[in-house]
Amino acid sequence: MVNENELIRMEHISKYFGRVRALDDVTLAVNKSEIVGLLGDNGAGKSTLIKILSGALRSDSGDIYIDGRKANIRNTTDAIAYGIETIYQDSALVTQLSIARNIFMGREPIIGPGFLNRMDQAAMNDAARDLLKQVGITKNIPPATPISALSGGERQAVAIARALHFESELIVLDEPTNNLGVEETQGVLRFVRAARDSGHSCIFIAHNIYHVFQVVDRIVVLRGGKKVADDIDPKTTTIEAVEKIITGLVGVTPA
Amino acid sequence: MEPRTFLQRLLARPEFGPFVLLVGEIIVFTLMAPSFLSTGNISNLLAFTPELGMIALGMTMLMTSGEFDLSVGSVFGFAPIIMWTLYNTGATSLEVGFIAGMLMAVVVGFANGWFVTKLKIPSFLVTLGMLLVVRGTALYLTDGFPQGRWSADSPLMDIIVGDFYIGQLRIFTSLLWFIFFALILGYILTQTKFGNWIQAAGGNASAASARGVRVARTKVILFILTSVMAAFAGIVSSIRVSSANPNSGTGYELEVIAMVVIGGTALNGGRGTIIGTVLGVLILRLMRNGIVMVGVPGLAYNIFIGAIILAMMSLHSWLERRHHAGT
Ligand SMILES: Nc1ncnc2c1ncn2[C@@H]1O[C@H](COP(=O)(O)OP(=O)(O)OP(=O)(O)O)[C@@H](O)[C@H]1O
Ligand SMILES: [Mg+2]
Repeated sequence: MVNENELIRMEHISKYFGRVRALDDVTLAVNKSEIVGLLGDNGAGKSTLIKILSGALRSDSGDIYIDGRKANIRNTTDAIAYGIETIYQDSALVTQLSIARNIFMGREPIIGPGFLNRMDQAAMNDAARDLLKQVGITKNIPPATPISALSGGERQAVAIARALHFESELIVLDEPTNNLGVEETQGVLRFVRAARDSGHSCIFIAHNIYHVFQVVDRIVVLRGGKKVADDIDPKTTTIEAVEKIITGLVGVTPA
Repeated sequence: MEPRTFLQRLLARPEFGPFVLLVGEIIVFTLMAPSFLSTGNISNLLAFTPELGMIALGMTMLMTSGEFDLSVGSVFGFAPIIMWTLYNTGATSLEVGFIAGMLMAVVVGFANGWFVTKLKIPSFLVTLGMLLVVRGTALYLTDGFPQGRWSADSPLMDIIVGDFYIGQLRIFTSLLWFIFFALILGYILTQTKFGNWIQAAGGNASAASARGVRVARTKVILFILTSVMAAFAGIVSSIRVSSANPNSGTGYELEVIAMVVIGGTALNGGRGTIIGTVLGVLILRLMRNGIVMVGVPGLAYNIFIGAIILAMMSLHSWLERRHHAGT
């Protein structure tokens, strides 16, 4: 079972909300530098699964292993410390603050004597400018721009830039392309590829299968809280076949 | 995002509206009552402005972090009661009395912060309760009577509220304290890591704490800061008017919050400006003074204050919306 290449393994995860069984014995592994697409219909349990991974929810049973060692993720701070960055639209940014201040939030570099507690704003702005280029933002956006002045896609880019800078090993994107236009969606997909190319792993959740097919290496499908497919290769499978698995119109592949 | 001109940037600043209002106010009052700019009146203004102003500076920091404090007026009244009662009864020296008054403020601020961050009770309710507790204690301990101030001569008095003359202008040291605090707090809010935490805590607390920002600790520190500023202002005021009244500071909490929001700090956090607060303090204090000088009945003061608040809030929200639409 020991797989050198494996980054994260969630094992036998179950989660109840009262009497609703949101997750039933789900096991999900992500390899290094791999983009995994997590698909499933509304209410299949995708968000619940990744919320457990990002510390926003706790599972009723099951374990999480990171680099083969058991991890104890009690809250979002723990998850970030383990190198797991979750990106939902907006929620992880402070819209009143600038791009640079958001990227370094909580870990602001200090310049000068410690007791003056002075932020190194020049260094923050320089790093932010480089990072925005790195995630493929070609427009010249000053790093002092507040998040509230950015489009949805650009906000995703800032969140991804932050994950890149602090070397998050796994970036989780829950429906990052919701409410985005064609151009912005292509942008987000480009950031995701850029992240993988620099050695990061991703879990990518989206309802638009076409988007998923464009970037992921492997597709996992949840249905009714159970994993029904684990190893779909988007290069050798058709979109129609995956749709059938999601809706349950074909036999369940043994997980 | 095309580069914007200097003028556009200036116009987009939250302090711009209050600045224009202040200049307009000075012009109108000077035209209507030329003695408005006399040295006597300016000295007079500069004597009492720093007192509310210091509370407003602390409140700006707290409100930027998304909380506010209604108990400042009662702390303003109670701190000098502690100091003068201890001194007048001969229990302690004035200096020890001063420290006791400030310690009371630390305890009140810590309690406010603890209830808000640990028990997750909204700051409106916590500090409303604290307002009644502190005011009630002050009234109970003094039987409602002002503490007359007998003679005290301590270097502390000169440090806190000495005065000196620049030409014919009589300046109280409290003005220097106000400027000093404005510079320090302005630096903290805009230049430091702690300042970034304040804004992050007020803007999106859950996102901030996920990134390692100590949101609860930040807020507790700011509750203490606000309370301590109010206590210091109350002691300054009691020395200036030579009496400590258990009822003094009544209603200050709302006037201070009005000063802060007029200056451009957001009531629900995330955005704060010390420069704006200094302008807001001047706007309301000049208004109170100027209205009387031009012959409007003092009782009409609140009508003007209310109108200014509504006008400024409309301006800030319009700027905010235009800012978002324009990008
Ligand atoms: N906080 C909650 N309390 C109660 N039930 C919940 C809660 N969160 C999720 N559920 C239930 O758990 C199930 C899985 O929800 P989840 O949000 O994980 O689905 P999803 O796959 O992300 O769906 P979508 O594609 O619509 O986002 C659903 O039946 C949902 O109603
Ligand atoms: Mg979901």
